[in-house]
Amino acid sequence: MLGCRECFITLLLYLGKASVQRDTRERWQLIPSGTRDWLPREAARIRGAASGVLAEAARWGYREVVTPTLEYLDVLVRAEGAGAPDRLFKLIDRGGELLALRPDMTTSVARLVATRLRDVASAASLPLRVAYAGQVFRGAPPAGAARLREFPQVGCELIGPRTVEADAEIVALTVAAFRAAGVAAFSLSLGHVGFLQSVLAGLDLSEDDGAAVRALLYQKDFVGLGGLLERHRAPADRIEALLALPALRGPDALVEAGRLVHTPEGRDVVRDLERLGEALAAHGVADAVTIDLSIIRDFDYYTGIVFEGHTAAVGAPLGGGGRYDRLLEQFGVALPATGFALRLDRVLAAEGAAEDGAQAWTPDAVVAADAGCGAEAAACARALRSCGFTVALEVLGRPWDEVADDAARRGVPRAILVGRGAARVREGGNAERRVPLSELTATGRRGTGARPPAPDARPGGPW
Amino acid sequence: MVTGPRTRRAGDMVTVAVPSGRLLDGAMRILEASGYLDGDAWRGSRRLIVPGVEPAMRCLIAKPVDLLTYVEHGAADLGIAGKDILLEQGRDVYELVDLGFGTCRGVLACPARLAETWERLTPLRIATKYPRVTERHFWTQGRPVEVIPMNGTVELAPLVGLADGIMDLVMSGRTLRENGLIEIAELFQSTARLVVNRVSLRSRAAAVAAVIERVRATVARPEGPGEGLMPSREGRTPRA
Repeated sequence: MLGCRECFITLLLYLGKASVQRDTRERWQLIPSGTRDWLPREAARIRGAASGVLAEAARWGYREVVTPTLEYLDVLVRAEGAGAPDRLFKLIDRGGELLALRPDMTTSVARLVATRLRDVASAASLPLRVAYAGQVFRGAPPAGAARLREFPQVGCELIGPRTVEADAEIVALTVAAFRAAGVAAFSLSLGHVGFLQSVLAGLDLSEDDGAAVRALLYQKDFVGLGGLLERHRAPADRIEALLALPALRGPDALVEAGRLVHTPEGRDVVRDLERLGEALAAHGVADAVTIDLSIIRDFDYYTGIVFEGHTAAVGAPLGGGGRYDRLLEQFGVALPATGFALRLDRVLAAEGAAEDGAQAWTPDAVVAADAGCGAEAAACARALRSCGFTVALEVLGRPWDEVADDAARRGVPRAILVGRGAARVREGGNAERRVPLSELTATGRRGTGARPPAPDARPGGPW
Repeated sequence: MVTGPRTRRAGDMVTVAVPSGRLLDGAMRILEASGYLDGDAWRGSRRLIVPGVEPAMRCLIAKPVDLLTYVEHGAADLGIAGKDILLEQGRDVYELVDLGFGTCRGVLACPARLAETWERLTPLRIATKYPRVTERHFWTQGRPVEVIPMNGTVELAPLVGLADGIMDLVMSGRTLRENGLIEIAELFQSTARLVVNRVSLRSRAAAVAAVIERVRATVARPEGPGEGLMPSREGRTPRA
């Protein structure tokens, strides 16, 4: 009885404390809604995924560029239309100019190519292959699955060619990028904005109705679309094609699409996708790609193929891209282009949740200095680091026994006390060994400039 | 920090989110008529997850305002939601089939005594469960409005001076009449819709497409999905 009551009181106290803590939480303890911190383990995965993708892209000839996080609002409106400011994170510069945080990298890259690489772009050095990695921002309040307003992206743009081969390269590179980022099970859905355009073409929609159709498409409201076409007394075959759209995917999608299109442009789209399918088979990625004519992307600068990568574990696309032949025109350089970007936060979610991000990191060794031997200890740490070991130097000034016990408790494989001429080494639960300093740092000197050893190759040498 | 696996669901299980409340019965009848649900499994039960007839299928019962959250995040592959909620929440889901039941209208209404001066009141104070739809409506009219978001019994607000009028769903119009409110304008018409998560449509393509097709066929049947559920023809006409 008593125990139960004590428990209850403890619970009340705990709840009271928790609510007090919540109430007194101040702004300096918080971060803006829609942003997040990345703790060491997750940060390492993000960095690893980004470098993996950039390294893979480099092997395909894509070189990294870095653009400012801030752009003039005019630049982004030029690329994404008058509706863009609603979706942007805006700021005002000291002179009163409107700035915005970039909502994606494609526009920034287009601006960079048109303004800084103009000579290159007009010379014979096309195609231009560009890669990037960085944070992008959305201004709309966090809602639903779009709850992050800042997230990391990595991607590539292929500027210059308007060929099926270029599209094939970008799609194949996207598949390679997903693999480089560590996503094992994913599929790429590949569509074409031209198919839908051909269905809607020739309906003689007024400007208002055209806008309504686009709005319905972005909302993916096919019920509303069907209703609008019915009210316009659109031909039954157009309505059929439109309503069939969400199901137009898989191996037979192109055959079905060929039956549904009635314009030369529509037939061109189907033929291009067939050729693209052959090119993707040649790249060896046909298995990872599914034709899917219902793909609707969130950016409306796309003019050709569009694609998205999914995995069953995550309810939103991990990344995507497509062809945008008229974006660079907005910046005075009429070059066609095609590209993709991965959302690294979702890529990580697809790999599985991170383990406890606060979990301690363990170095390969801790190095402490015996009395008056600080210089020798630092030199020893330098030598070991230069041959690829991670080394933490004792900076708390604790006695040697405490340092060694603490290292053992944290699972650090070895603790080293550097004295004059010799060091004492404790490894695992073993007794202390005395090792001459020359022998201890010999590995370091031999290994200078060499690549870090693989973890399983590390023991040996002086240990 | 989240520990442990955080994947959505194992394998090929298809989950359909069904709204509790006024659309529950119609939604369950459609799923029953499509052969996905055994009526006895849900009638009189308080379970929130109802197994389907086929083992690879289940339903979850969610509050209507939460339903699209389940579908947008992929916790449910498909869902049945009123057009009113879709308009209000503007979520990233595919809206594919008009299910033809749950017909109602979203209207602006005010106390009869205010009907004369309605056009001159400024700024209008409107109590509603649909703040975004209401704001959008008055924004397109270029009229200043103060929207007062509420969660229930919206009709009360103008009777006690909290608001000048309301924006709410009406079916027969009886609630409006009994509270002395008259309709000023219709903002939208609503029926239940079948919605689909954008990734499920692809990652569970075959299973999800099968559900869509069977539900579409059920709705298209001339006798309707079940007795007492005959949707009016106009209710079935899709409206933007």
